[in-house]
Amino acid sequence: MASKKKRNSTEGKENLVSPFPDEVLECVLGFVMSHRDRSSVSLVCKDWYSADRWSRTHVFIGNCYSVSPEILVRRFPNIRSVTLKGKPRFSDFNLVPANWGADIQSWLEVFASAYPHLEELRLKRMTVTDESLEFLAHSFPNFKALALVSCDGFSTDGLATIATYCKNLTELDILENGIEDLGGGWLSCFPENFSSLEILNFANLNSEVSFDALERLVTRCRSLKVLKANKSVTLEQLQRLLSRAPQLVELGSGSFSQDLTFQQYAELKNAFNNCRNLHTLSGLWEASSLYLPALYPACVNLTFLNLSYASLQSAEFAKLLPNCPLLRRLWVLDTVEDKGLEAVGSSCPLLEELRVFPAEPVVGGGGGVTESGFVAVSRGCRKLHYTLYFCRQMTNAAVATVVQNCPDFTHFRVCIMNPCQPDHLTNEPMDEAFGSVVKTCTKLRRLAVSGLLTDLSFEYIGRYAKNLETLSVAFAGSSDRGMQCVLEGCPKLRKLEIRDCPFGNVALLSGLERYESMRSLWMSACTVTMNGCRLLAREMPRAKKGCPSLRSHPLRIIISMHGRLSR
Amino acid sequence: MSLCLFESVISRPYIYKAKVAALILSLRPQFATMGKATHSSSSSIDSSKHPTLSSASSSLYHQSKTNTDLSSDLRLGLTLSTSTSLLPDTLSNSDSREPSTDWPPVKPPQRNTVAEKGNNRQRPIFFVKVYMEGVPIGRKLDLFAHHSYDGLIATLAHMFSITILYPNMDRVHSDKDHVLTYEDKEGDWMMVGDVPWEMFLTTVKRLQITRADRC
Repeated sequence: MASKKKRNSTEGKENLVSPFPDEVLECVLGFVMSHRDRSSVSLVCKDWYSADRWSRTHVFIGNCYSVSPEILVRRFPNIRSVTLKGKPRFSDFNLVPANWGADIQSWLEVFASAYPHLEELRLKRMTVTDESLEFLAHSFPNFKALALVSCDGFSTDGLATIATYCKNLTELDILENGIEDLGGGWLSCFPENFSSLEILNFANLNSEVSFDALERLVTRCRSLKVLKANKSVTLEQLQRLLSRAPQLVELGSGSFSQDLTFQQYAELKNAFNNCRNLHTLSGLWEASSLYLPALYPACVNLTFLNLSYASLQSAEFAKLLPNCPLLRRLWVLDTVEDKGLEAVGSSCPLLEELRVFPAEPVVGGGGGVTESGFVAVSRGCRKLHYTLYFCRQMTNAAVATVVQNCPDFTHFRVCIMNPCQPDHLTNEPMDEAFGSVVKTCTKLRRLAVSGLLTDLSFEYIGRYAKNLETLSVAFAGSSDRGMQCVLEGCPKLRKLEIRDCPFGNVALLSGLERYESMRSLWMSACTVTMNGCRLLAREMPRAKKGCPSLRSHPLRIIISMHGRLSR
Repeated sequence: MSLCLFESVISRPYIYKAKVAALILSLRPQFATMGKATHSSSSSIDSSKHPTLSSASSSLYHQSKTNTDLSSDLRLGLTLSTSTSLLPDTLSNSDSREPSTDWPPVKPPQRNTVAEKGNNRQRPIFFVKVYMEGVPIGRKLDLFAHHSYDGLIATLAHMFSITILYPNMDRVHSDKDHVLTYEDKEGDWMMVGDVPWEMFLTTVKRLQITRADRC
């Protein structure tokens, strides 16, 4: 990166040190991809701001309410790709009411006139209607990539319009949306001469698609790299798809149980044998131990295995793992239990990310994994730096051991499913567990805490977690002091989400200075009152008028309290 | 800057916008009164924190029901109710037995998929008939309870009190030994043990134990 010498451009060029033409600057900046770096670039001086402005082709907006589409298009005239995030993360768990907002339509209308050559749109937690999808399909002739993650408001009819009219589509990624599934006919809407698709993910749609249409689509799209089918696709059908597309690098299988003849089984195994380019595997609904071995040859280069829909037992899981020596990311259900996790520890030395999801996501259930599975993984997988671990019991000692074995954690999310549960051996709060996490893991960026926690845990977080950017808290803390410690102590905090904690107005207002540099604050079912919120709204410094930098996203504070409407 | 406050879906959703930003707000009954409950950090550690704890919260709840005028609340959180009261009501919906959909924080697609399979979470079973040559009454055996030929042979040997041979075994067989055979999907009778265990499972229909001198 060129040196960031400040230049006063009004003084004339003779004062400048080695200026280079704007075209060169724009060309160089074209190699700067990260949006954070780009924002930093734009703050250096007016010329750099201008160069970034003209050369920027992709923009990322983490909070759709932080800037209006009009301001966006005025600043960046040449955008080809937009990533927008809308609702707060807790909307995934039904904590945000319907019709909250984050509608894409107003953005699309502005884009239609300002960015007629728009190619990519990636939305997360936005409301998208079928009308919006239709508008999209007709307004952007060069449109290539649509990714909708955790969005809502549309139906499969909207997908049908996209399939019909987007002639240059390369990517259709529909993940975990609140979609109204009216049938699988949308897939048949891809024209017969359409062959540009490279990424197709419809794994979370339930309706059966026409297999005939799917097979033909896969056959003619020679560049198809990612195919994630839904569970209506059978094993036999999967085998046929695989034999058409052995070049796949990411596969989401359909349902993985069916009565196969010996011949069909052999063909399936053969098909997987030819798919050695796979680095990501998912789906595997109802995977039965009977047919898992057919997968083994395809796992040789696998780096990401997503078993979060397959209720595997520990034995079959333990047999599968040694076939995936290069595994770096693993998502699994807790049906594999601690024994399965021991197998992870012994078979996956390169593992960097482990997510264990609950098969029975209810409070007070049984089974699942415990602290010993967690420790077992940490012993064998020293490179582990990302974990999301749902369990029913945990101990302070176990967490301390885990972070000692794996001090490089950047994302540490442990959810003890029974709220306010103490260390099950000592009956003490889990303060020391998370204390050891923040003390040992200096690179920690994201933390989710659970179990019985007093203000002490937040004191630890405030004192040690200096790189923390995201913190999720539920059913924890004893007083305002907890939240205050975090707000005072974590300079890089950007997202704070709190539910069901005894943090009130004092805590809320103590963060006045901090909120400007954060992206969002969520508080629900806390002890904040309406007056506290009014005071906050009044006291917070007004947003800057004029030309807001996209780096300092204006804060979105969301506070919700259950109960009767006031006034 | 946008400031959004909103009401939970439990009560009437009602949205009104302030000048600066959107403010949607309602208040939890328990905390409408900033009661005189003293808080100390110790209170959050003692007593069990199970969601079934109800006495503390119910008293607060009744107390707050009478106080509906929130504009009179001027205290900015100087007195707080302790955290013990938070837990029970949030999760244990006393009206319904339905599990909460917002805790644990698992996304709906996964919640639904797993719930469907919830009833099938026992280990799958695969019973086949086993006949001993010369004995008209057969037995039944769950092949999925075993993970290899060794386990199967051991179980059968125990079940019928015999010795069973299989391929590649280092033994000179005598007349008393038996051999395990199976009928496959094509109707042929084959010796058990030649193909990999998993493949065997896909093709076996029934088992028969025959005398070694017959093979």
